[in-house]
This record gives sequence, C-alpha cells and structure tokens, in this order.
Amino acid sequence: MSSFGFGLMTAAVLAIATVGFTMQFAVTNVLNLAYGSIMINSAFVAYYANAHGVTAWASLPFGVATGAAASWALNRFVFTPFQRRNPAPITVVIVALGVDLIGTFGLQAIVGGSYVSYHQSQGHEYHIVGMFLSGLQLIILAICAVVLVTIHWLLRYTRLGKAMRATSANPNLARNSGVKTQFIISTTWLISGALCGLAGVVFAMNTGVFEATSAQLYIVLLLAAMFLGGPGEPYGAMFGALVIGLSTEISAAYVNPQYKEVIAFVALLGMLTFRPYGIFGSEKTL
Amino acid sequence: MSAYAFYFATILIYAAVDAMACLALNVEFGFAGISNFGFIIFQSAGAYAAAVLSMPRAATSNGGFQSYILGWSLPWPLPWIGAAVVGGLLALPFVFLVGKRLRGDFAAVGLLVSAVLLNVLVKDFVPFLNGAAGISIVPAPFQSIWNPQGVAYQFAYGGVAIVLTILVYFLLRRITESPYGRSLRAMRDNDIVADSLGKNLRLNRTSMLVLGGAVAGLSGAILVGFISLWAPGAWGYAETIVFFAAIIVGGAGNHKGAILGAILVPVGFEEATRYIPPLANPTLVPSLQWVAIGLLIVLFLWFRPDGILPERRRILSRKPTAPPLPPSDDPDALIQIGNLEGLDFGHLLRLGEPTNDHRVILSTQGLSKSFNGVTVVEDVSIEIRQGRVTGMIGPNGAGKSTTLAMLAGTLPSSAGRIFLEGEDITAMSSHKRAQAGLVRTFQLASEFKKLTVMENLVSAIPNQSGDSFWGSLRGRRHWGSEDKANIERAEEVLEGFGLTQYANAYAGGLSGGQRRLVEIMRSLLAEPKVLLLDEPMAGVHPNLAHKIGDQLTRLSEGGMTILMVEHELAIMDAFCDPVIVLAEGRVLAEGTMAELRQMPEVVEAYLVG
Repeated sequence: MSSFGFGLMTAAVLAIATVGFTMQFAVTNVLNLAYGSIMINSAFVAYYANAHGVTAWASLPFGVATGAAASWALNRFVFTPFQRRNPAPITVVIVALGVDLIGTFGLQAIVGGSYVSYHQSQGHEYHIVGMFLSGLQLIILAICAVVLVTIHWLLRYTRLGKAMRATSANPNLARNSGVKTQFIISTTWLISGALCGLAGVVFAMNTGVFEATSAQLYIVLLLAAMFLGGPGEPYGAMFGALVIGLSTEISAAYVNPQYKEVIAFVALLGMLTFRPYGIFGSEKTL
Repeated sequence: MSAYAFYFATILIYAAVDAMACLALNVEFGFAGISNFGFIIFQSAGAYAAAVLSMPRAATSNGGFQSYILGWSLPWPLPWIGAAVVGGLLALPFVFLVGKRLRGDFAAVGLLVSAVLLNVLVKDFVPFLNGAAGISIVPAPFQSIWNPQGVAYQFAYGGVAIVLTILVYFLLRRITESPYGRSLRAMRDNDIVADSLGKNLRLNRTSMLVLGGAVAGLSGAILVGFISLWAPGAWGYAETIVFFAAIIVGGAGNHKGAILGAILVPVGFEEATRYIPPLANPTLVPSLQWVAIGLLIVLFLWFRPDGILPERRRILSRKPTAPPLPPSDDPDALIQIGNLEGLDFGHLLRLGEPTNDHRVILSTQGLSKSFNGVTVVEDVSIEIRQGRVTGMIGPNGAGKSTTLAMLAGTLPSSAGRIFLEGEDITAMSSHKRAQAGLVRTFQLASEFKKLTVMENLVSAIPNQSGDSFWGSLRGRRHWGSEDKANIERAEEVLEGFGLTQYANAYAGGLSGGQRRLVEIMRSLLAEPKVLLLDEPMAGVHPNLAHKIGDQLTRLSEGGMTILMVEHELAIMDAFCDPVIVLAEGRVLAEGTMAELRQMPEVVEAYLVG
C-alpha cells in the first residue's frame, strides 16, 4: 500500500505536467521535447528564491512564472517562426530537441553539476488508508487536485476553454468562425507553461534532491502518459498520468525498482505501435 | 613528435567512424525521411557485438571480473561482420513503428524512447553486457602479433577505417543515385503520395533502417576495436542528437555533406575540445559543448536549413536549353507551347490494344466510413465501367473525396466491399492497389517538392528494374538504359503539356496550376488501368481544363477508365458520362448530366444550391 502512495504522488505531478504538454500539442501540433528543460529551469528559479530567504511554498509562484514566460517565449520566438515556413513537422521537433539541450545544459553551465534541495520541512507523517504520506506530500496532492479541477473548469465552462478546444480541433475553421486563434494559442502556451513550471517545482520537491539534468528523462513519462490518453487530450492526459504513475511505482514494489520506468516505455511503444491516437481515440481525418 | 602522431591517428580514426555513422544516418534521414532518433543504439549494438565476439569467454578472461554473453574469441574480420549483422537485425523490431500509418514525429519519439529504454536495461542488467561499468579490455585486431600501441599499427588501423568509409560512401551512393533512391526521396517528401503511386513505404523504410543499422554497427565495431571499451555512458540518447546536428550542418540528402558534418561537429567539437583543461567547474566545458550542439541545430535550421552542402539537384533531362522561366500560370502560353493532341498515349503510357467492352471494372458494395462516430460515407454502392470517364459530383461534405480515398486505399473503409476486375480488394493495401493499376491524385498539392519535375514524373513509372533495393545494388549497367527510355517518355509527355523548360526545376518551386499539371502527368505515367482524379482542374485555367478534358476522353478511348471528382459542372457536361451524385454520404442519383438536370432531388441538393 505504501507503493500506492508513491504512485499517487508520481501520478499527481505527472498529471500536471502531461496536461500542459498535451495542451501545447493540441493547439500547435508540436511535440515540445524541450518541456523537461523548462520544468527544471523553473525548479531552479524557485530554488534560488528559496535560497534567498523566501519560503519554499512562497517561491513556487516564481517557478510558475518562469515556466509560463519561458514556454510562451519558446512558442512565440522559436516554434511559431519555424512553423510559418511550413516545414516538415519533424523539423520543429528537432528544433525542440536542440532547445532542450540549450535549456538543460545552459542551466548546468550556470549552476554546476551538484545536487540541491529546497529548505523545507517534510511536515508530520500521516497514515491514511494504509499509505504513509508526509505533510509536504499531502500539500502537493492538494495543489495538483485544485489545479486539475481548475483546468477542467477552464476547458468546460469558459469561453477561453471553448476557444482552446475549437482551435485544437480545427484551427482554420476556428479562425473562420471568429476565434482569435493567435491569441488563443499564446494564451494556451502561457497556461500550459505555468503548469510546466508548477510541475517542475513540485517534481523537485517530491524528488527531494535534484540537479540540472534531473528532468531529462521525464519526457519519457510525459510521452507515455500523453499517448496512453491520446495526444492532445487533456482528460486523456490525466488518465494516462494516473495509469503510468501508479503502475511504475507499484511495479517497483514487486520487481526490481531499477526497472520501474520500463513499464512506461513498454506502454508508450505499445501505444505508438497499435493505437497511436490513444486508448479512447480514433484516427484523424486526412 | 610521437605524441602528435598518436593524436593525429586518433583524430583520423574518429573522423572515419563519425563519417561512416553520419553517412548511415543521412541515408535514413536525409534520403528516406526516417527521423531515427534512436540511431545511437545501432552503433552501440555493433560495438557490443564486436566486443563480445572478439573476447574470450567471460569466465576465463582476466579472472572473470566482467560478465557478458558469448565470448567467442573470433578472429578479425568476423567480429566486424557480426557487428554489421547485429546492427542491421536490430532494425527489424522497428518495422512496426515506421509503417505508413504512424506520423513521422511519433515514430521518431518511439525510436528515441527505445534508445533510452535499451540504455537503462543494459545498464541495470549486469549479466548481459556487464552493466553500467561496460565492457573493457576489448582486444584490438591482430594484437597478438602486432602491438596496438605502436604508431604504425594506429595509422594502419586508421587507414583501414578510412578505406571502409570510402567503400560505404560508394555503396550508399550507388543506392541513392538509382531509381530506388529517387523513390526514397519521393517518400521523404510526401509519403502518402508515394504510397499512392505504388511505393511500399514499410518495406523501403525497413530496408533503409537495416542498411543504416548495419553501417552504424560497423562504425561501432571500428570504434570499440580502437578504444577497447564500451559502456552505457558512451551512448546516451543525446549522442544521436550530435549526429543529427552533424547532418543538419553538413547538408541532409548529400553524402559529402554528411562527411563534412561529421568532421565539423562530432570530430571538431568533441575530439578537438577533449584537451581543454577544466575551467571553473568540471561540468562547464561538457555543458557548453551540449549548448553549442543545441545552438548549431536551431541556428542552422533557421539560417541555412539545407546545410553547408545542400542536396544536389539531379539533372535528368538534356532537353531544356533555355533556363526555366519564373513560375507562370499564363494558360495561353502553356497551350501554345504544348501539343497535347500530338501525344501518342498508346506508346507513352504502354496502354496496349484498346479493348473497350465497358464491363464493370471497379465497384463497391455498401461502402461506408465514419470518423469518431460521425458517418461521412454511408452504404455507397457504385459501378465504374471500363473505358468511360465517370464523374462524381456533390455538395461540400458529400463524401466524394472520402469515397475516392477509400477506393484507392488511402483511407480504410469502415464497412462494405471494393472490387477491382471482380477481385475483392477491400483488404488490399494502397500501394498494392496502385501496383494493380488503381492510381489516384490528390485534391491538395502533392508534388515531391525537392524532386525535379522530371524526377516527379519518372518516379511514378511502375516496374522499374532499378526501383528496388537489390535492383539499385546491381548498378547503372542493370537499369541505366531502361531509365533513359523512361526519361525520354516522360520528356515527351512534358513537351505535350508545354512544360519542357521546367524539366529540371524543383517541383516545389512551380506555380499552383503548373503543379496540378505535374500531378496529372505523373498519375498518367503511373500507367493506371483505373485513374481516380480528385478535382484535377481546380486552379487550372478553364481553357486549359478543356484541353486536358479532351485528352481524358482520348485516354478513355484508348482503354483507360477514369473516375473524376469535380466541382465544375461545365467539365462534367463536356466530358463525363455517367455522372454519380453524392449527397450527405449517400448516392443520390446516377445518369448523364442531361438526365440529372431533370431530377428535382438532384437539382435541389446540388445544382441550385
């Protein structure tokens, strides 16, 4: 049961991250492989705020703002100009890989290679239905729950959310129907970037110690969760994150923990091979 | 002096290994359009294979301090050959990822993730290849009789590596400069269209992954024989990005570009900076190297996307003496230049004896298609008769293009059956249908952008003896004269359509109307029995459209069957009989245009609205 608790933590953080990642794919059709580097940069900005006397929780907004600003800028100044030239989709993905190297190792060049952690108490340990969760973990879970409900409300019940979904489904039709798609895309990158920054900070809090390349392989979990629920589907992303988060941690309890990510890899490759549009999805029109 | 000699020999060997790897990746990425983000695992598999094939049994070597599989103590060159074989075989599991249904970038991340996964597994499962510590003390070839530390040995090793790289260069060039290479580049530029012209995407991509994997494996073998150790730390997934950077800098689709990129990026960056002393912190130099690789990729893709040595334009046709005019849509000019009536289709398209018996050649029963529960085509049963030009009309969203796509196999049908010459082809893949003579065109621009107009046309010709992996290996002597005849046929067609001047121009640079003509010519040269045209006249000047329509009539008289989706009713009036009307996914009516105009439901559904 304690592995279930770990799984829940992993799933909660992964859900935040995957929802942002999949929203970016939904509105711009780009697999943003630089996502992990923005996460870890956000975590480090929060770390420096924390190191300069701000409490860990109060430094969280710094990370969120970093994620939002960096993601918005990445789309505005890199992806959009490239996409305007109408290249093969893979070109933009290669650009994203390049940006990921710049982001991750640029950070490493500045902060060095050593591990750091937030100045933060773990809080009391609570014993809830067989799981042991620290106060810190409970707060992270609460934040993730609130954010996911907010995203749900945004997508379902606001004009902005409807416009986002319309832009994702068919950008041309949305534009012709009076949706300001450029504005919607920018806003989506701001919001998804905020999620990315938030995910980066809570990922770092949850891991305890971290360094510049800690999130480098996180992209694998992101991709696995996204493809499980169907690319571009925020609710699918939540579902995928839950499955991947729980299954990696629970499998770690029963088989060699070193192989815990293997299940995510296998899930991803299986989805790509047999159902690339998700468990619930179907092929798009040509 | 000798320290410099060793350094120079080392650089030489690294240059050969990196050049070989870049040549392999360039064939996959620059020619066949496969973004192999897991490329490093193929080189690595070769390195491991060469190591365990040349080493003694794990239990007996050095007191058994490392554990690994095999240990066959094979003499050179067997471990190197084994490395190439293992590298090639490793490609086979990925045949599912590179099939035609999966987007290129999805397949790419699949390969990327596979690379990460294999690295994790090899690192954590020690009995297989000694885990994270890696395999060390790999014997150098002939080390029992020749001291590998000697200058002469190292230069000899470098020499062998360079000779092998040159051989690889010529082998790959033989493949890419053949009709098969043309098909590979067509597939790279537009895979769905190449598929619709009968190219087997899965087979071609798998062949190139196997070939690239074998060459990468050999490069790994050469490397491990020299440095004598191989560990997971040396082949993180990011190493693949270095090779991609090399190809983007050097020039994708150009073998010399790949070699230049290998010398500039992996050799220049990694080996030449090896001896920079650590600065402020030990990670600074390596981190900045990675930042530089990232910057190289982004900046080159923006400022010089074709690299330092761009892909070479292949001049196939000797006909055009004048330089190509700027793209033009002036239809009168085209008609004056061209001589459509003079085209001898029977000879040019190998039509054979016209045997028009107007039998049912293509038919459907209850054909349906739905996307996400929305039915787009419902229960369509039609019969297309041989030697006729059948029209298909209907309002927007009636399901015309979807029906055509299902006939050609571009889209799988949700229900119903399709018959060609009485044979059920519902389950037949689209490229097989094209090979069986069922060829389609597309509503949207579908030219192969970075193929010349002449290459676009010739690539469509079926049954070329140089258009297969093995055919291309047999060389120009095998396919040269046939290719020349094909080019001449294409030149005649091009002349008839008045586009001779553009023969050697990239198709991507033409005007919209010209590209439509290229697509029509290309579909004809695919020598179809049944030609499915999706709005062929859109964007073509009406005068020219009528000229082309006349030719379609001539083609049908010559034995070709044509089904044409078109919005322009004047075209239907003039050339199509019968005409099928679709509305809301169903067949509403069928008959001559004159008959259809008498039917109130047709007039209501389409003709008026």
